[in-house]
Amino acid sequence: MLETWNRRLLAALFGIGAVGVILLRVFDPATSRIFPPCPVWYLTGWYCPGCGSLRAIHQLLHGNLQVAWAMNPLTVILLPFISYGLVSHAVIAIRGQGHGLPRLFLPAVWIRALCAVIVLYGIARNLPFYPVNLLAPGAMLRF
Amino acid sequence: MFCPQCGASTPDNAVVCMQCGRNLQAAPPPPLQAAPYQVTPLPTPGVILPPGATVPNYLVFAILTTLFCCLPAGIPAIVYAAQVNGKLQAGDLAGAQQASKNAKLWCLISLGLGLAVVVIWGFLVLAGVLTGISHQN
Repeated sequence: MLETWNRRLLAALFGIGAVGVILLRVFDPATSRIFPPCPVWYLTGWYCPGCGSLRAIHQLLHGNLQVAWAMNPLTVILLPFISYGLVSHAVIAIRGQGHGLPRLFLPAVWIRALCAVIVLYGIARNLPFYPVNLLAPGAMLRF
Repeated sequence: MFCPQCGASTPDNAVVCMQCGRNLQAAPPPPLQAAPYQVTPLPTPGVILPPGATVPNYLVFAILTTLFCCLPAGIPAIVYAAQVNGKLQAGDLAGAQQASKNAKLWCLISLGLGLAVVVIWGFLVLAGVLTGISHQN
C-alpha cells in the first residue's frame, strides 16, 4: 500500500536525519573531514547560500548561538521553520490530516521573497566589501 | 473542522481558511440580502478539493536541498513551490498539481546530485584512509 510505503520512507528519512544530527553533534565539520565539502565551493571557490550550515548546526547543538550565527545566519533563522515543516509533515503522515499540527502554508509572494533572499544572500556573502563580507562563513568571528 | 488544504483548525462556519485562504464551502456562500448596489462578486480564493486531498508544494524539502545539497537545482524547486501555492490561491487546481509535480522532480534532482557528491566523497575518504594505512606499513 502507498500509505505504508510513505510511512516507511518517512521513517527511513528521519532515521538518516537522526544519524546525521548525532554525527554533527560529535564531529565538528570545521576540523573533521568526514563531512563532504560544499560542491559549489569546492568547484568554484564561491560560497553558496548553504555554506557553513553544517558548522552552524554543530555549534547550535553545543549551544553556541553566536558562533553558529557567524557561520551561517540564514540557516540559524530558517532552522526553526524547517524543523516545524518537517515535524508537522511527519505528524500529519502518522496521525492523518487534521489530527496533527497545521501544515505550513506560505502565500506564493512569501515563497518568491524567500527565494530572492536566498539568491541575494548567496551573492552577497561573496562580495569583498563591508558590511556584506560579514556574511561569509566565519567572517564575523574575525572582527 | 480542519482545512483540507493546510490542516489548520478552522471555525465550523468559516468560508475560507484563515491560514491558506482555501475555500472551505462546497457551494458558494448565499448572496447578501438587500444590497443597495449590485457589486460584481469577487472570485473566492482557493479551489475545491475532495475532502482529505492536498496539493503538496514540497517547500521545506526544496529549501533543505537548496541549503544542504548546495545545488542550483534547489532554486527551481522553490520557484515551483511558489507556483503551487499561487495557483491554489488563484483556484487553478490542474496548474497547481502540475507545479507540484515539477517541484517534486526538482527536489529529487537536487537530492540525487547531493547524494552523489556525498557518495563520491565517501569513496575518496575511504581511498585516503586505505592509502594512509598501506603507507604506514
